[in-house]
Amino acid sequence: MSAPTLKIDDLKLSFKTWSGTAQVLHGISLHIKKGERVALVGESGSGKSVTARIVLGMLQQLKSARIAGSVEFEGVNLETLKPASRHALRGTRMSMIFQDPTSSLNPVYPIFAQFKEVLERAQPGITNEKAREKAISALADVAINEPDRVLDSYAFQLSGGMNQRVMIAMALANNPALLLADEPGTALDVTVQAQTLKLMSELVKKHHTSVLFISHNLGVVREFADRVYVIYKGNIVEQGPTERLFDDPKHPYTRALLSAVPRITGGGIPDLDDDPGRFTAPLVAHEGYSERELLA
Amino acid sequence: MSTLLSVNNVSKQFEVNGRTVQAIDAVSFAVEKGECLAIVGESGSGKSTIANIILGIYAATSGSLTFNGSELPAKRSKEYRRAIQLVQQNPLSSLNPRRSIGASLRLALDVHDIGEKAGRAKRTGELLEDVGLPADFRRRSPSSLSGGQRQRVAIARALACQSELVVLDEPTSALDVLVQARVLKLLKELKDSRGLTYVFITHDLSVVRNIADRVAVFERGKLVELGQTSAIFTNPQNPYTRRLIGAVPVVSREEAALRDRLMEQESGNA
Ligand SMILES: Nc1ncnc2c1ncn2[C@@H]1O[C@H](COP(=O)(O)OP(=O)(O)OP(=O)(O)O)[C@@H](O)[C@H]1O
Ligand SMILES: Nc1ncnc2c1ncn2[C@@H]1O[C@H](COP(=O)(O)OP(=O)(O)OP(=O)(O)O)[C@@H](O)[C@H]1O
Ligand SMILES: [Mg+2]
Ligand SMILES: [Mg+2]
Repeated sequence: MSAPTLKIDDLKLSFKTWSGTAQVLHGISLHIKKGERVALVGESGSGKSVTARIVLGMLQQLKSARIAGSVEFEGVNLETLKPASRHALRGTRMSMIFQDPTSSLNPVYPIFAQFKEVLERAQPGITNEKAREKAISALADVAINEPDRVLDSYAFQLSGGMNQRVMIAMALANNPALLLADEPGTALDVTVQAQTLKLMSELVKKHHTSVLFISHNLGVVREFADRVYVIYKGNIVEQGPTERLFDDPKHPYTRALLSAVPRITGGGIPDLDDDPGRFTAPLVAHEGYSERELLA
Repeated sequence: MSTLLSVNNVSKQFEVNGRTVQAIDAVSFAVEKGECLAIVGESGSGKSTIANIILGIYAATSGSLTFNGSELPAKRSKEYRRAIQLVQQNPLSSLNPRRSIGASLRLALDVHDIGEKAGRAKRTGELLEDVGLPADFRRRSPSSLSGGQRQRVAIARALACQSELVVLDEPTSALDVLVQARVLKLLKELKDSRGLTYVFITHDLSVVRNIADRVAVFERGKLVELGQTSAIFTNPQNPYTRRLIGAVPVVSREEAALRDRLMEQESGNA
């Protein structure tokens, strides 16, 4: 059997701050097999984005960050790679849709220049014409009506959802083996969101892309993901196959989370059940879905 | 009820590289005192643009706005800048990266002279705790915060100013549903106690269903439907509104049933 596309083992992260050390990740383990769509859901500030940034190798340069544990990509421990080879993976074999699209795009270059740079990473020397052609069709795939206008604009001249779609199109452009999608649908209306999810699903099928899908939108997670990890304050607290986890949530935090989802049928904002004492209960893995069982 | 804000036949065009973008196309609506008016719609339909026009950040190409019965000037006085607050869609760019969170909040209190000087430092901590953040986040920088933490700082700052109208542009898109519930309850509390008025822009229709009094639906710069929340969700008149509600991802069976019923109506009409 081939190695999983991504395997994170006992990942720990702390930051040095003015008041001492703040532990952010307490040793999390998760993996994604080839062609699998795995969701990471949980509390705001629990460590989802930093996990994705560590995989991409973006937090390592930060002086205040202390990282321990291992991250393997297609069987290779990323720490053993030379910086240049690691850098070469970014935007080609692994790519990321960042949570804050408008500030992740470069404000001083028009979109086309940034798109071309992405394409060049996989195809050095690609001509302007060819790059433009590719960019236009990639933008059409994410329901951008006026691709020419968008390519000639700066990020501040586009709406939040247009920037998000530009980011999605760039992340998918080089058919990555691993896609890290951090809140990819927050600025999209539900019809456009449905279309981009479909596009991602097609990519998964066609190129066996593995996806780490970070989202607060549990309805979308339910429709998109094969498996789910739930994270609370830097610990994975529950993991299992999507349907079982939604139908039969076992951890107190997951239960509280699911009961707080506002319903389209109304009924008001649900009353809070956020007794943090119970949320620190140990990890629950659904039967057959622990890391040990899945990686055996 | 009396009208707090009225938007009268407002249009906005942008010129980009010789192309004209009609971001807002002859839009009129009123916001009543003490209500929560939700704006939903297509991505790129002009929601953030209308927010920026209400705040005076962009000038309308044509049309006018009135606030408490008087015409809103293009250049806003300090009074108006306090009375109307904005929570931006992209919170990172609205917080000064070189200022600590505490300093940003403090600045808002100082500029608008809110509360006794001596109590302001303490007040910044309370504002953070109201949105579920620890008071010692005052010392942190915006770049060291998670997406949802920044979003909550932006909300805390807007609520600090004792304003009359708060325009919230996707204010809870980076919050988990538990924190979101807490923030929405805080907004409701302030609405009930202070009579605060909200324009709440979001793609999350399930949130809209549960907090908005009325809903405005935008498509391609036009206001295509406006009505009471319950009416919009049970009997939407506009085909685009029906398509929107029909595409909401849901977590329960009852919700799926409502969605399917609307989809059926939609295909019956087509
Ligand atoms: N400063 C600007 N210069 C040029 N065009 C602009 C500018 N601001 C907005 N636009 C254009 O106006 C239209 C409406 O944008 P707006 O940001 O209001 O959309 P939105 O409804 O908020 O969308 P989203 O849901 O994606 O945030 C878009 O086509 C956008 O490209
Ligand atoms: N540079 C930093 N210095 C100190 N603390 C940091 C830094 N970057 C992130 N953190 C902290 O690490 C924690 C995890 O952050 P992360 O961005 O991963 O959260 P998240 O799960 O993505 O949350 P959200 O859903 O709100 O986006 C947060 O509490 C955040 O404040
Ligand atoms: Mg995040
Ligand atoms: Mg917007």
